[in-house]
Amino acid sequence: MSPISIIPERCTGCQSCEMVCSLSHEGSCSPSLSRIRMKKWEEISVFMPIVCQHCEKPPCVDICPTGARKRTPGTDTVMTDEKRCVGCKSCLYACPYSAPVLHPVTRRTMTCDLCHGHPLCTQVCTAGALSYKPEGDVSTEKRKAFAQTLLRSMRSR
Amino acid sequence: MIKGWTGKRLRVDLSLQKAWTEDIPVEDLRQWFGGRGLNASFFSQHFPSPVSPSCPENPIAFAVGPLTGTLAPCSGWTSIASFSPLSDPPGYAFTRMPGHFGASLKGAGFDQCILQGKADRPLYLWIDDGKVKFEDASHLWGKETTETTVAIQEEKGDRSIEALCIGPAGERQLPFANVIHRLSWTGDRLGLGYLFGIKQVKAIAIRGKRPVTVHDPRRFLNLCLALKDRIQKDREMKRLKEEGTLSPLGGEGGRIIKNSTGWCLPESEKQWAASLGTYLFSQESCFSCPVHCGWNIQHQGSTTGGIHLEKAWYLGPKIGVYNGEWTLKLHHLCQAQGLDPFLTSSLLARIMEGVGDSPLSVEDLRETDDIWEQGEKAFAILHRITHGSKNGFHFSVPPLSENEDLDVLADIISFCMIVVNRLNLMTVSNMIDLIDASTGYALSIEDLRDTVWNILQMESRLQNKGFYLNNPPSLFRMGEGQISEILRREERNNESISHQTTS
Repeated sequence: MSPISIIPERCTGCQSCEMVCSLSHEGSCSPSLSRIRMKKWEEISVFMPIVCQHCEKPPCVDICPTGARKRTPGTDTVMTDEKRCVGCKSCLYACPYSAPVLHPVTRRTMTCDLCHGHPLCTQVCTAGALSYKPEGDVSTEKRKAFAQTLLRSMRSR
Repeated sequence: MIKGWTGKRLRVDLSLQKAWTEDIPVEDLRQWFGGRGLNASFFSQHFPSPVSPSCPENPIAFAVGPLTGTLAPCSGWTSIASFSPLSDPPGYAFTRMPGHFGASLKGAGFDQCILQGKADRPLYLWIDDGKVKFEDASHLWGKETTETTVAIQEEKGDRSIEALCIGPAGERQLPFANVIHRLSWTGDRLGLGYLFGIKQVKAIAIRGKRPVTVHDPRRFLNLCLALKDRIQKDREMKRLKEEGTLSPLGGEGGRIIKNSTGWCLPESEKQWAASLGTYLFSQESCFSCPVHCGWNIQHQGSTTGGIHLEKAWYLGPKIGVYNGEWTLKLHHLCQAQGLDPFLTSSLLARIMEGVGDSPLSVEDLRETDDIWEQGEKAFAILHRITHGSKNGFHFSVPPLSENEDLDVLADIISFCMIVVNRLNLMTVSNMIDLIDASTGYALSIEDLRDTVWNILQMESRLQNKGFYLNNPPSLFRMGEGQISEILRREERNNESISHQTTS
């Protein structure tokens, strides 16, 4: 399963991804209701979106004491079963990115569901930091960008 | 409560260190549909005559629109109003600030925030999801803006906090000091740094996590997606994205520079833009904006926050500096000290041209006289001003570029004027649709026209101009001018965004 791929150098910190995620999933706009989170360090101009990468060997599934975190058979996304989740936050600790987030109202964890194969955050990211290719692998975009930079420097020589 | 709004006004009394909330009447929200109108109506209700900018009662008002803090593209602007030290005689003035502050204010649960009083010691205001605290800022006093922002975020242990702060220039109550957040976005042309300095408020730090509700989420989402898509595909927009807000540079005719005494040639403009371009490395953007017209600077191996090329122009060719590196150094000094680049530019131009009274001493001027490079000279002068003790500045405030009522309309709804008016990427009917989907309140053309009209009247009354009130032809022009024309054109073209989404 291919996750949303991120090129952090391109992120401009506009938070459109957070807004569209919370609006489409929860019907209101708030960064705290979003499944994708933008982290910023403005003094060094670094902005970075963080979202679930649907690991091949997900530590959140291994650690979940109630079996709420599991891979959905049809789509291969790693999701939380809200009925089973007790909000123990183990998955937040186990995840290398700490990508699962706690829903401020239900107090259960939630992660990216790839909007049923058409992630809206990749549509609104006009900076090109987020992209989604169902078949390709995550690094395709990044590899392409690097190849282009290389090509440009070779040509200019 | 109407959807899209929070319906709350935060009142802060710095003298008593008390904060309380007030309900904003629903009729007011419906009538003014935005920050600028809310501010103007607050001032008209409470201040029949202007107060002195330095007195404790003088309020600083921040307000946002119904679409701030939502997905609506280019909606991240905040309206700010106060009795300004820059207007002569001191009177009502307003400005707008792009960036992320408005969205955070809305997220904290407020549509409007009004600061009054005067603190007895330096403090900063900490607004955490609706709760307000007055925090001691004596350890921050004297620090530059970057240090202040980072120190507040580290103190609270959350880098997502937005801090609107002043620098040493504001603390020294220079009238051309401003406020800055995310080291990039500033509230200019109002003397906000002076007002914060008088009130001894170092910063306003906000963490806003409350959701902004929307009347019809599905429709609102579709409208926003269609708009973003259209803005992204536009050719002019692509140019703006690649070249920043100075994309029209190098055009024919040149531009007036140096205190209106000279012209800038297109070639030198291009040369300057190219020399500046080598220091720009990545983009930054306002809240929920698809344009990303700001740039981040990398100079001598370190990053120094963002630059908006319009400001760079004022610290570049506008004062005769054609070396990009000196422009950056000037910009960085302004940013660190918390100075308004527009007013600094006007002041520097005056001093360097020798027009009018100079705030510098004769010795200071003589020392900078021999410097041949204009940029270095400007830097030396500015350094002496910010580190000296002289007062008594005289400078002309460059007017807000607001000559069309579409600008006013965009400003009232807290939209980006560049996108709405200069690029015409968002039409009036788009804005009406967005407000309808967000608040569930369908506006008519008459409502729009009346509101623009009323706000301009209120503002002119506050500024004691009496211009619109006693002059029916100009009033007629404002109401019957551009907006009606644009609407008629739009109706003809039938370019309503709802049609696009359905097709």
